[in-house]
Amino acid sequence: MTSLLAASPASVLEAMRGERRVRPFADTTAAAGLRATLEDAIFELLGATLLDAPFVLRASSLRRGEQIDTPSTSPLARVRGILIVQALRLMSVGFAVEHAFDEALIAWRAEVGANELTASIDHLTDEDAALLRSEVEAHCVTLKRSLGPIPTHWMPRTSQRAHQRLAGGNVVLRDVVDLMVGTTTSERASVALLDVTTSTLDEGEERAMRYHALVQTLRTGVVPLRTSAFSTATGELWSCDVDGELLTRSVADLLEVLRSKVAPS
Amino acid sequence: MTVLSHRRASRHVLNRLVAEAPLEAATLTDDHRRSLSARFRAVSSDRHRRLDAWMVERAGAPSGPFRWSPAAARRTLGNAALRRRLLDPALSSVAAVDEEVSEHLLRVLEGRARSGSLANFLAQSAPSTLGLIGAEAAAWATELAEAADALTFPWSVATSDAFYDVATARTTLRGRRDLIVSRDDQRVVLRVRAGAPGKSAGPGLRADLTIDALADPAGVAAARIIGLWPEAGVVLSIDGTIEDLRAGARDLVRTAVAQQRERLAHAA
Repeated sequence: MTSLLAASPASVLEAMRGERRVRPFADTTAAAGLRATLEDAIFELLGATLLDAPFVLRASSLRRGEQIDTPSTSPLARVRGILIVQALRLMSVGFAVEHAFDEALIAWRAEVGANELTASIDHLTDEDAALLRSEVEAHCVTLKRSLGPIPTHWMPRTSQRAHQRLAGGNVVLRDVVDLMVGTTTSERASVALLDVTTSTLDEGEERAMRYHALVQTLRTGVVPLRTSAFSTATGELWSCDVDGELLTRSVADLLEVLRSKVAPS
Repeated sequence: MTVLSHRRASRHVLNRLVAEAPLEAATLTDDHRRSLSARFRAVSSDRHRRLDAWMVERAGAPSGPFRWSPAAARRTLGNAALRRRLLDPALSSVAAVDEEVSEHLLRVLEGRARSGSLANFLAQSAPSTLGLIGAEAAAWATELAEAADALTFPWSVATSDAFYDVATARTTLRGRRDLIVSRDDQRVVLRVRAGAPGKSAGPGLRADLTIDALADPAGVAAARIIGLWPEAGVVLSIDGTIEDLRAGARDLVRTAVAQQRERLAHAA
């Protein structure tokens, strides 16, 4: 089930976690079946031969064709997205973000050191630099207002990476979840995943939400409670309960992308 | 021959691996230590050598100089935060990391931190970098706590990694260990790593097992060492048999040889 909230919710986190008493029991059995389905389908596609280079799939592979240079994948938009995620990471530990651009930029540089993308910021024209700064500040205001304080007892974890090898390493699923709350050890499902994007939400984002849920299930062996996406461009939140149907759809999404990679039209 | 067990991470896998660990662990004698020392001495070195599982996995290939970063600091701070949480269960991971960072900063203020230390790195970091370090460390502590939560055996956070100075061979071995699980009078060591295990993950784990046994005053090996890769959802384990300890020691000596060859080739 996908619910679309027209207005920005009072608190994204509250919407993500829902009511405690109606949470289902944690499903610890679905992962094995999903993995087996994926392995079988990949075997039919690729056979038993070990490839020189694996097919690497990411959430971005499901959002759009990776090669297409849309405005949201331009370097400036990528930097904007990265800085908003850095701001989210700071908020997750109760850091009061006041100057979003400067603080997120410092944190990002400390994390990755010097690379092509960080260097590109130093070479921006004054106009582009001002635009980036104002965009990051504006997106961060939306994020702060909508996210609300993150309770530490919800065990917030940011930039949670996952790396799943399938078919003997012929296919690698990589993923980074911007914010994850809850635990996989409770009797009731409690893990909620949040993807924060500076773009508008679209069908591709819905596929990415499903992908996060699938990879998280494969990684931990426990089906998460909910997967969500929040747009700092529009203040919209999409949130889905994770169930067998959603995970099966994600498997189908993934195989479709893999088929297109194996035999490009 | 090493028996490397490979499992998918699931809620009870760690508990099963601890419960199924061998009942008897191997012990390294003084003869073993002397033999290892002789082998390292045979590999000449013009400087003090430091070896760990990471170098074994890379077959001695040089890596860049170490520099502190939020990712490099997360394990030290995260493990310390989890230790604090064991003493005060009401403490959240975020609050425990905050306390740990404050203690490091206090150390710098009192002039008790040496240059290049984590405390100095924290003291020189901007507030937002400290925030990011906190986020990384809290995530590590939470992952580790989740792994430990499923254990029905008593466990503790390792107070430090295992260090062993090889006598008269100018060599220090460092073995990673994160959790120590007690089962009867034996221990099982759990080591957590980021990323996904590569082809040489087994030898790396075996090296940590060996160093942990060498660092034990009585030379008693852990009944089993478990490597957990939470990002990949994979668990590897090796039993503490004498064959595995020997193989681990051989890998460490081979790494020293490979490093020495690399250095000589670089100098030529």
